[in-house]
Amino acid sequence: MASLETEVLVIGGGSTGAGVVRDAAMRGLKTVLVERRDLADGTTGRYHGLLHSGGRYAVKDQEAARECVVENAILRRIASDCIEDTGGLFVCTPWDDAAFGDDFVEGCRATGVPVEEIAAAEARRREPRLHPEISRAFTVPDAALDPWKLVWSCARSAQEHGAQILLYHRVVELERNGQRVSGAVVHNELTGEEVQIHADVVVNAAGAWAPEIAQLAGCRVAVVPGKGIMIAMNHRLVHTVLNRCKLPADGDILVPIRTVCIIGTTDMRVVHPDELEVTQPEVDQMLDEGEKLVPGFRESRALRVWIGARPLFSPEEVAETREVSRSHALLDHRERDGVEGFVTITGGKTTTFRLMAEATVDAVCAQLGVERPCRTHEEPMPGSEGGHFYELGSRLRALEPVPESEQIICECELITRRRLEDAMARRRTANLDDLRRTLRLGMGPCQGGFCIYRATGILHAVEQLDHRAANAALLSFLQERWKGVHPILYGDQLRQARLDDWIFQGLLGVQHLPA
Amino acid sequence: MTHDTIVIGAGLAGLTAGLRLADEGQRVLVIAEGIGSTHLAPATIDVLGFYDGEVESPAEAFPRFADAHPAHPYARLSAELIAASIEWFKARFPVFGYRGGLDKNFLLPTALGTAKPSSVVPETMAQGDLSAGGRFVFVGLGLKDFYPAYLAENLGHVALAGSTVSARAAELAPPLGAEADVGSLGFARRFEQRAFREAVVRELASRVEPDERVGFPSVLGVRNVGEVWRELEARLERPVFEVATLPPSVTGIRLFEAMTAALRQAGGRIAIGSPVVGAETGNGRVEGVVAQAAARPTPYRARSFVLASGGVAAGGIHVDSYGKIREAVFDLALAGLPAANGRPPFLPTYLEEQPLDRVGVPVDDRLRPVGADGRPRYENLYAAGATLAGAVPWQEASGNGLSLATGYAAAAAILERAS
Repeated sequence: MASLETEVLVIGGGSTGAGVVRDAAMRGLKTVLVERRDLADGTTGRYHGLLHSGGRYAVKDQEAARECVVENAILRRIASDCIEDTGGLFVCTPWDDAAFGDDFVEGCRATGVPVEEIAAAEARRREPRLHPEISRAFTVPDAALDPWKLVWSCARSAQEHGAQILLYHRVVELERNGQRVSGAVVHNELTGEEVQIHADVVVNAAGAWAPEIAQLAGCRVAVVPGKGIMIAMNHRLVHTVLNRCKLPADGDILVPIRTVCIIGTTDMRVVHPDELEVTQPEVDQMLDEGEKLVPGFRESRALRVWIGARPLFSPEEVAETREVSRSHALLDHRERDGVEGFVTITGGKTTTFRLMAEATVDAVCAQLGVERPCRTHEEPMPGSEGGHFYELGSRLRALEPVPESEQIICECELITRRRLEDAMARRRTANLDDLRRTLRLGMGPCQGGFCIYRATGILHAVEQLDHRAANAALLSFLQERWKGVHPILYGDQLRQARLDDWIFQGLLGVQHLPA
Repeated sequence: MTHDTIVIGAGLAGLTAGLRLADEGQRVLVIAEGIGSTHLAPATIDVLGFYDGEVESPAEAFPRFADAHPAHPYARLSAELIAASIEWFKARFPVFGYRGGLDKNFLLPTALGTAKPSSVVPETMAQGDLSAGGRFVFVGLGLKDFYPAYLAENLGHVALAGSTVSARAAELAPPLGAEADVGSLGFARRFEQRAFREAVVRELASRVEPDERVGFPSVLGVRNVGEVWRELEARLERPVFEVATLPPSVTGIRLFEAMTAALRQAGGRIAIGSPVVGAETGNGRVEGVVAQAAARPTPYRARSFVLASGGVAAGGIHVDSYGKIREAVFDLALAGLPAANGRPPFLPTYLEEQPLDRVGVPVDDRLRPVGADGRPRYENLYAAGATLAGAVPWQEASGNGLSLATGYAAAAAILERAS
């Protein structure tokens, strides 16, 4: 069995794990991150992409709101390339109590969320599709945050500081040496090989999967997965993040991000984060709530639906943890369970991932007996050095100077052949979904109807796959896509799906590929 | 002006019905929201390719197939009529040199390297037939919709009864100037230029083996059907064929151009860009349809009507966000509906047959849409093509065969009634 030596081993490649590996590497600790699938394949990649201003928590959870205020400003500085500065609006629709607006403003003032009430007419001028009968509107510095770009930027930054990132490496065992966790055995899901990783401290950043990892060390962590549904709508129905001005509830956020806008979400406790099913009532709930913000929402085209599993820790757990905030939980198992070299970080939200990482690495340093200050809030991540936010038209602008000088493989998301080939060469993945997350390949209206056959042909050439591997990549992409579209097939997206049936089954005959 | 027949939809079914009737002297209007499926699908006439595995002979499979699928449009048609539609089509468009028939399917390579059974194919595609085995070379031009190395590798592993196929790729770098993103139609237009053809032949001639058949993506010219193909065959001294590629389909565009030209020549009218949004009906008859043309609803009257507006893909059948399923023009009764109300409960596995696959308009033996009582809803309304219930053409490999046969049959029913 191959083996590795490191100071810190981070388990989990969501925003939390990526934040921890960057923070630890920047403090000069030798760090390895392992992720059972791809970066941001879990909860982080399945959220709506809202960079919170804090407004959502201003009344109900003021400590969380204060954290958001601080972290929102920091991320705008260090991760500008992952952010579109859309701004946010809280609006009182006919279904909301306009008087709550006063509580909202008071909460924002108390927590430092920059807020300004504007005339309802002005809000409708800014967002013409907004419900015509909104009574009040408030501006806040919400923004759109690209979760894949964020996590990859963190990972790249960590690598530049010497960290090692192992994708598709699943933890099968945590090694206990007496009362100390001394490392892990990880299984390479692609090659089947096992690797032994010796570490001084192991950080469990597995989010909703944290209980399973903790159990490997003989510790009990009571995290319950809370499922949240999201639907991406074709087009940007709005260009500003829209929130209903009321206590947080289901389907009250609409986030414009990249070429789509995403409505979310729900919160329902489930048994296991790998077993999440979209139900029709949940879909209808989102569509009906969307209708209250943007009339005609149901006639718009729904592109894709998915579910994320929030890590929610149970209240009795809060009581016995070294609580940093109500919004996340840092469990130092040395104090809690008498197990040395093992820390669990869970709960929280992507907006505050950096803060969570800072607290975690502080605890890691304490275990290692070293004192090194956090610097993650000071140094911009790769790609964000210029301090520019991305914009909706940035890909188009890059292609415009010399039209037709490059092949465009994914027309919906304007992905050129060179960009795709570079990503294939860099990632060396035989999984088209990895490329989807990396480049937004196939995320547009046709959901890969035109680009995925092309991408498979290119993958076959660039990575010199044999036909079996290429066919498996194609079929697995089609199945994953179906999973995300079949619960929301109606209207124009059903027409699109049927056209895609004609292309893949009628024209190409994917169902007759050699086994 | 009153027409004899108004055909709604300009895909293969609508154009076939319209042309058949115009040929017989009827005043015909083909009215459509947009260009039909011709631009999406190859011009092969796939009659029945898969039923209990690969179908070798549609003629032999028909009786069994119709027995097993009583709700299928083929169960409404006689084998003679299907054969007659094909003979009519082959004779009506000699320029394509259509080959084949119902006795034996061709087995054509797809752009992915699978084998697809097809009954009647244009001569530019016929040499791709895999059923006798042989050696094939597939030519890459840098077209982003065609990956010959991937195709060839798959084809080498396709199991064929009693024959072996060997396949390889030859990548060319034809002169495209500064334009890197040339699509199928762009290549087709370039192939119409002598200099481009010369460059391709020069680069390819020394690289093909004496016993190989040469496959190109289906981009060998869009006008002057067959000319580019014939010249390549002569110059390469090898059998040459086209392989169907992703939309836009150049072979389908050729067919659309030929059919619409023939229709106009026969005195028919075509109005594309005029979505039909409603109908005027009374006394069990359709009196007229209302099209949303030139910004205001315009009525069009006729003695007979053919609904060939397509299925779910084309918008002939619409499903809203509550799962309400509706035929878009006449609100006709539908068959093949999912059992439950609400959005169709699609199954989680992509390649399973899905609940909405067979939805469509049920018809009587004269292809007149029927109500729940099994009787024609309107005495002078006929339906053809993908609008019809009971087929899963993208799995059966039956798309253009169904459209041709039912378009032909609807016209035959109208002519019979008129006489």
